[in-house]
This record gives sequence, C-alpha cells and structure tokens, in this order.
Amino acid sequence: MRKCKMDPAVRQANSRVTRRQFLKGSMGTVAALTIVPRHVLGGAGQTPPSETIGGALIGCGGRGPGTFSDLNREHRLNVTMLAQCDVRFRDRADNKTIYTDFRRVLERKDIEVVAIATPPHWHALISIAAMESGKDVLCEKPMTRFIAEGRAVVEAQKRYKRIFQIGTYGRFGASQNRQNIETHKIMESGLLKPCKAVYINRGGFKVKEWSGKVNLRPEPVPANLDWDMYVGPSPMKPYNRHRTGGTHRCYWDYEGGGLADMGQHFFDPVQWIYAKDDTSPVEIEAYAPPAHPEACGMWGWVEMKYADGFTLVLDSGEWGQAYNRQEPRGVSMSDLGPRFGGEESRRKIARVPDPEPLVGFGEAVKTRKQPGGHAEAAHRCATLLHLANIAIRTGRKIRYDPVKEQIIGDEEANRLVNQPMRAPWHL
Amino acid sequence: MRNSLVSVAEMISKLPDPDENGLLSNIDKEAVENIIAEIQKAGRDGIVGLIDMLVEPGKADDVKPRYALHGLAVYVCKLNDKKHRRAFAEILASQLERDRPKEIKGYLIRQLQVAGPRLRGDKLAPAKAGVAAVLGKFLLDDELCEYAAQALVAIGDGAGQQLRDALPKAKGKCRLTVIQNLGVVRDKKSVNTLKQALGDEDMDIRLAAAWGLANIGDAGSVDLLLKTADIKNPYERIKAAQACLLLAENLLAAGKKKDAMKIYAHLRDTRTDAAEQYLREVAASALAAKEG
Repeated sequence: MRKCKMDPAVRQANSRVTRRQFLKGSMGTVAALTIVPRHVLGGAGQTPPSETIGGALIGCGGRGPGTFSDLNREHRLNVTMLAQCDVRFRDRADNKTIYTDFRRVLERKDIEVVAIATPPHWHALISIAAMESGKDVLCEKPMTRFIAEGRAVVEAQKRYKRIFQIGTYGRFGASQNRQNIETHKIMESGLLKPCKAVYINRGGFKVKEWSGKVNLRPEPVPANLDWDMYVGPSPMKPYNRHRTGGTHRCYWDYEGGGLADMGQHFFDPVQWIYAKDDTSPVEIEAYAPPAHPEACGMWGWVEMKYADGFTLVLDSGEWGQAYNRQEPRGVSMSDLGPRFGGEESRRKIARVPDPEPLVGFGEAVKTRKQPGGHAEAAHRCATLLHLANIAIRTGRKIRYDPVKEQIIGDEEANRLVNQPMRAPWHL
Repeated sequence: MRNSLVSVAEMISKLPDPDENGLLSNIDKEAVENIIAEIQKAGRDGIVGLIDMLVEPGKADDVKPRYALHGLAVYVCKLNDKKHRRAFAEILASQLERDRPKEIKGYLIRQLQVAGPRLRGDKLAPAKAGVAAVLGKFLLDDELCEYAAQALVAIGDGAGQQLRDALPKAKGKCRLTVIQNLGVVRDKKSVNTLKQALGDEDMDIRLAAAWGLANIGDAGSVDLLLKTADIKNPYERIKAAQACLLLAENLLAAGKKKDAMKIYAHLRDTRTDAAEQYLREVAASALAAKEG
C-alpha cells in the first residue's frame, strides 16, 4: 500500500466533528431556544417538547442503539423507546414493543421520532414511509443506495414538512471555523468562476475492508431472520451471512462499499464549506478495474468536477496509481483578483453576514426549522458517492445534469441512477 | 467454433483468482479489460461458450465466467456501437430460451438489465422488440418474474406491452410485480385494469394500483383514490393518502387544478384526528397556496 500524504488544508476540512464536539457546539443554540409546544407547531401527537416523545429504533444492529441514544444524549430530546424493529427479531417479535415489520411501527400514533439504522438499501423507503406517517427522522448514513432514492426522500420531506437529519455531523464543526466560513461565502457568492480549488480526500475509504466476496455460496437462512424483508427492495439473492451484519456494505445490493460507507462522513463538511448543498458535479471520472456485478471491489481514484470548476477527488490509496493530475488547492479572498472583480468583490463578500449556526436535530424537532444535515444536503452528499460508484461500475467518464439529476447521453449509466425495486416496494 | 471455445476458456483462466478472503483484491485493470475485449471479439460462439461455463451457486466454481460476462455487458455499452450491443443482447436472450437452471437464467436477465438496448431510434433494430418479448415470457415465472420486470423497466422499450400481456395469467408475487411495474412505466393503457385492482382482496395489490394510478396522473381516478384513502387500516390509510397527494401533484402539473383541489379539500376535511394533523396541514397549505 502506498503512503497517503495529506496537506494541511485537506486535514483541516477533513477533521470531522465527534458526537461529543457536536453536542458542545450546539448546546448554546439549544439553551437559547424558546420552547413552543408541538401542538402549536403541528407535530404529530401534540406532545409538548418538555415532555417525553415516543420514539422507535428501526434496524437494531451495529450503530442502531447508538443512533437511538443520540436522540437524548446529543440531540437533547426526551425520547422514550416504545418500539424496536429488526428483521432478525422473527423469533421474538410481539408487535407491541418488538417488531420485524417497520410498517407496524409506523402505524403507531404514539411514536413521533424514528431512528433508522438498517442497512442503507432500506434507508430511503423507511424514511419516506416514516414522514408519510407524520414522524420525524434521524437516518444513519449513507442516506441512500442510489440517486433517485435521495430525490424521493427530499420530495417526501417537503410534502409532509417533517424533520429529516442525516446521521453525520461533520458540517456542524466545519461551519464554525473562520477559514471555512470565508470559503463558504466566497463559493456561495459565485464570484470565483472558474474556480481552481481542488479538494483531495486521500485514504480512509476502507476499500478492501468493505469489498465483497465474489465466491459466496448459498447458506440456510437463520430461523430468526426474515430474509425476504431483509432483501426488501433489492434484487432477491440466496442468503449468505456475509450479505448481512455489517458486511452488507460490501455488496451493491445493499450499499456501495467503503466509498459509500465512509464518503458521507468525509464530504458532508466539504460540501458545506464549498457551498454545494444544492448542486452536484457535472463530470465524473474514475480510475478502477472492471467492477464485479455484485461485490464492491477495488478502485484507485475518482475525480469529480462541478460546473464552476471546483474539483473534488477521492483517492483510495489502496489500489493502483495515486491521483496525480492536480494538487490540493483551497480558496481565499486573495483569489478574487482583478479578473474576478478584485477589491469590489472582496468588499461585497466581507459585507455578507456569517451564515446562521446550523440547527441540530433536537432543535429542529422542537422548532420545526430545517436541521443542518437536512434532506437536500444529505441527498447531494450521497449523490457524490453514487456518482463515483457509477463511474467505477460503468468504467467510463460520465457527465451529469445536477438539475435533472440524470447522466447525460448514457442511458445505461442512468439505469444505476434509478434502479428498479422489488414489489411491493417503490419510490 | 471449437477454436473460439478453447480460446475463451484460455482467456477466462487468465482472469484474477479471488484472494484467500474471496475478494478480487489483486486485479490488473488493463489485463482484465484486454481479456474482456478479446472475448467480445470471439463472437457468438465465444459468448455462448462463456454462458455454458456458468453453474448454479454452490455447485462449482464459476467466479471467472460470471465476472467476465458482466464485464462484457458493461464493455458492449462502452463501445458505443448499437450493432455490437444488440448482438450481445440477442445472444443472452437466445440463451434464456434454452434449458438452463433458473438461477443462471436469472443471472442472464440481470446482465440484460445492464446492457439490453433501447431500440427507439435504432434503424437497424428488427421490427419486433425481441429482447423484451423474451423477457416478457418470464413475467409468469415465480422465480424469475421480479428480475424480468426489473430488466424490462430498466430497458424501457416494450415494457408496458409485455406487462399488460402477462397480467391476465399472472398470479401471486408475479401479479403484484406486474401491477406495480405498470405504474412504474406509467402505462396509460392499464388505467382500467389498475382501477379494478383497487378492489382486490390483497392490500399490496390495492396499494400498488393506487400508487400506479397516481403516478400515471389519471384524473378519472380521483374519486376512487379518495375512497381508498378513507379506509381505516392504518398503514393502508397512510399509503393511500400518499397516493392521493401524488395524484394531486401530477394533476396540478398537468393543469388540472380543479381535480387536484378536490383531493386536497378531501384530505383537509377527513384528517380530523390529532395524529393526522400533519396531513390536514399539508392539504390545507396546498389549498391555500393554489387558491391564493
């Protein structure tokens, strides 16, 4: 394995906020809140926020319990767990507190908030169904398995006006850093075009760790597992334990390898810093060997270019040649030379007020404000991972229309943008 | 023919072996790409020979031919040559008509999902959409109907016709799959069939039909969907309301404001329970926005 060299700018932007730091950073905002009863604000169940909120955890393995406990510990909500749902609970489900079918959980009127920590092929559908049922959603990353799922989550969130927050918090810390705020303002102004900034994320993608086995053999389905429900919207395949229990990450049917698993952590803050929450790259090129149809595998690097010229690079450091097309390069006021309006542009940006502090999930539930990791931002970040994986899987450079959310002139690549689902599941 | 089979077998043997953990971790991009290009050049006999190397999972090791066949599916798309791609798809389709284990047919269908060509605008394409017709035959097969529907929908061409043709004979899982996918492809010719399915005894069928009519944006379904949305069963009530909102949005987009308003007004007036206040507000706010 070659050594990964990280420049200071990259390291700074890449220093993700721990959950503890996130709490510390958001407490001031929480303390300053005016608490408005939920019945005034239109929340389901009409429970005042000072009282207990009914909650459910859907997907109880891995991060699940931690995700649920974050509702109280990090997000300062007073949530009581009324239901746990997991497809492995077949032998103990009582449909009172323990379930295997999330639909039965969502029917309950006493549950207002759900934490979703299933494998990602279920994230979008359960998030959408939860919002259709009037629940607020804290959903683990990565948000989705393919691009169209993310758009459907965004539409459901807008339609039902529920709160959706993705379970990664890097942007909360990044948005408090002075240099990042300056970069954000410059990029958001649109004055720096073409932009020569290059952000390179070297290593950390766990490519080999989350690569799939290409020689899986069918195994008997454990008695406690509802395999049909586990597979859900994805193509039905014979059971093998490696498709479940954390190593689901290694298969296209359920996630998208280490790239999808780690990418939302890495690019959530970068997307905020470079003001790309409402758009996506327009050109994506990957260096990778031909992909396996089922098992996620090795890749070298992916280069993604936005319409304004900003370039985002994923360099795995685990396969092939290192990325060497460009060097990392940040953005500062000094970039706004005469070509970009010079002093006038710099003054214009200096006058722009700092962005409002990002709203945490707990505050969002109470005030009905959009949280920092809202559905559109989370979807655009997940889109980065999916576009990278599509370039890897198709083996060709792709051009993307960030408005239509379609790959341009490549009908086969578009089949990965919106993938068919197994009935009765659909977007 | 024998020569091409021997050479394909030789080429396949040069593909990387899985490592001790079953991963393709030691993989040479250029070498694999060259092998796949060579197999494609071996033509029909070579590709059929490759398919003949596939075995049911757990019966023997076919890691390399499976990887190569998928590599070919991606490669023929990359060639940007309709003739090659159509030829590849027709070979796969022809092999679906031979006596092969279901799992292998499923794998071939999934490769058609990757590379099956859309024939619109292809002057060289035969008059009949052969690949779609072959896939359509599997819509009645309990083990393969889901794969077949997914491939048909991904390819797009002729999917509605195949789904419509299959519906009268489809049962159980296949029937649900067919009905749902008629909605996915927004098959307007199926509106009456979907309306009938709203009265089915199976909730999944009823919901698939309601969503399908909403996705098609059929103005003639407003009253039927509103009736469905008044059902007591909690989950069905939630999903039927969603179908109503989707229909309203599609009707608005089509300029049918009056029909859309009727939906919003109904939801506003019927969602009186505290737990459905969020829906009442969604409907009321849509009404206010559109009326204002």
